[in-house]
Amino acid sequence: MKNLNSVFAAYIIGWGVFFLFYVSIAKRTSDLRTEIERLKNSVTRK
Amino acid sequence: MGKRVLLGALAILLVIAAAYASFYIAPEERTMGVVQRIFYFHVGSAWAGMDAFLVCFICNLLYIWKREQKYDWLGVAAAEVGLVLTTVVLITGPIWAKPAWGIYWTWDARLTSTFVLWLLYVSYLLLRTLVEEPDRRALLSSLFGVFAFIDVPLVFGAIRWWRTQHPAPVIMGGPGSGLDPTMNKVFFFSVFAMHVLTVFLLVERYGLEKMKSEVDVLQREAEAL
Amino acid sequence: MSLLSNTSVLLGKELRTEFRSRELLTTTIVFILMVVVLFSFTFDPTTAESRRFGGGLLWLAFLFAASLMLQPCFLREQNNDTLSSLRLAISDPFAIFLAKLVANTLFLMLTELLMLPVFAVLYNVPILPTFHWLLLVLFLGSLGISVAGTALSAISAQARMRELLLPLLLLPILTPVLVASAEVTVGLLDRDPVMQWKGIGFLAVFDLVFLTALWMFGEYLLEE
Repeated sequence: MKNLNSVFAAYIIGWGVFFLFYVSIAKRTSDLRTEIERLKNSVTRK
Repeated sequence: MGKRVLLGALAILLVIAAAYASFYIAPEERTMGVVQRIFYFHVGSAWAGMDAFLVCFICNLLYIWKREQKYDWLGVAAAEVGLVLTTVVLITGPIWAKPAWGIYWTWDARLTSTFVLWLLYVSYLLLRTLVEEPDRRALLSSLFGVFAFIDVPLVFGAIRWWRTQHPAPVIMGGPGSGLDPTMNKVFFFSVFAMHVLTVFLLVERYGLEKMKSEVDVLQREAEAL
Repeated sequence: MSLLSNTSVLLGKELRTEFRSRELLTTTIVFILMVVVLFSFTFDPTTAESRRFGGGLLWLAFLFAASLMLQPCFLREQNNDTLSSLRLAISDPFAIFLAKLVANTLFLMLTELLMLPVFAVLYNVPILPTFHWLLLVLFLGSLGISVAGTALSAISAQARMRELLLPLLLLPILTPVLVASAEVTVGLLDRDPVMQWKGIGFLAVFDLVFLTALWMFGEYLLEE
């Protein structure tokens, strides 16, 4: 069933897109979290 | 924090379950064979995407009316998530079309309209990158968001009318093709699973936007000192 | 003062400003002319082919021209800092928009009517038998372009890269106008011309929907 490859491709690419989106959000969120800590420290120090 | 992990886990479970159902529970379609199983994922994403854009529209209206930042945050989150879902629709459509029709793209009415929908929200996000001041950015993008959303039924309607004048292969099966009851159940379960995934992605993206605003405030505080 | 009198005063100002220099009109006409000429190199411009492609190409040309022509709509006000005084003088923001969109529709139609016979001659497509219907689709299409264009011009004027942004915002929004106008025009230029009222209906609905949206949200577009 050669068409099965297309179905697998569709599902895997689709999930891949969602996964990449989630990973990019998670990375940016953790980056911001460290930034917030840094800023909070610099504000309290001043 | 625990609630978000739970939501994420639930979303993943449901999506996997929906995929399982699409392959093993739904019967095989007579004319197109196994390729048709893409339908559950493809259309599930499409409906979830439209609902994400609906959320964006409501947030745009609420922001114009109330001017509260949270509506802008949810609005941009919804637009991005909707765009991701629509991207998946535009990718899985051609993957379906190639084995079914031999070509990747047939300017099928629904897929074409989805492409324009995609362009509209790309423009929405592009507009946001070109306005620096947060309140002005929120207002201008909310206004464009409203115009874009009310345009959507006009886009779909006009393209569908145009297609009736120039018939071509329909990628997702014409209006006549009904669904066998088991297929129907699998379909609605897929739609449900995609919506839960959407909600999870929305929550995460909203959190990111909220944090960005916190950083802004802290940066201004730090500079003021 | 009523909406009508406010609008007519502002409309007079818009028309006078443009007709004093005529720079917008002349550059738009030349642009459309260039596009029409360049299009002739992209296919074999026999009458048969031109009947099939001409309508679409014409509206594409109008759309591109409009997205350039609409740039100064609010940019002029911004550059000369006249918007705030305008808002103080005229209480109803919709009057400002109405005046601008009527002016823009008139300018667009003027350039289109000048270009139509040129197109007919260059591409060997007869326009006289269905001219009155062509006029109708030109009007409804141009009105749609102007309503959306005027509103979006107010948005893009407040952002960076506004010259590139306006077409980016405008063209996807105007998809229904392009589809419907092109389809109706192709039908009218056909060997057995046919008037597609459904297309006209779409254009009318588009115009109405966006006029209403502009009326409801206009004041926020002009917020300082």
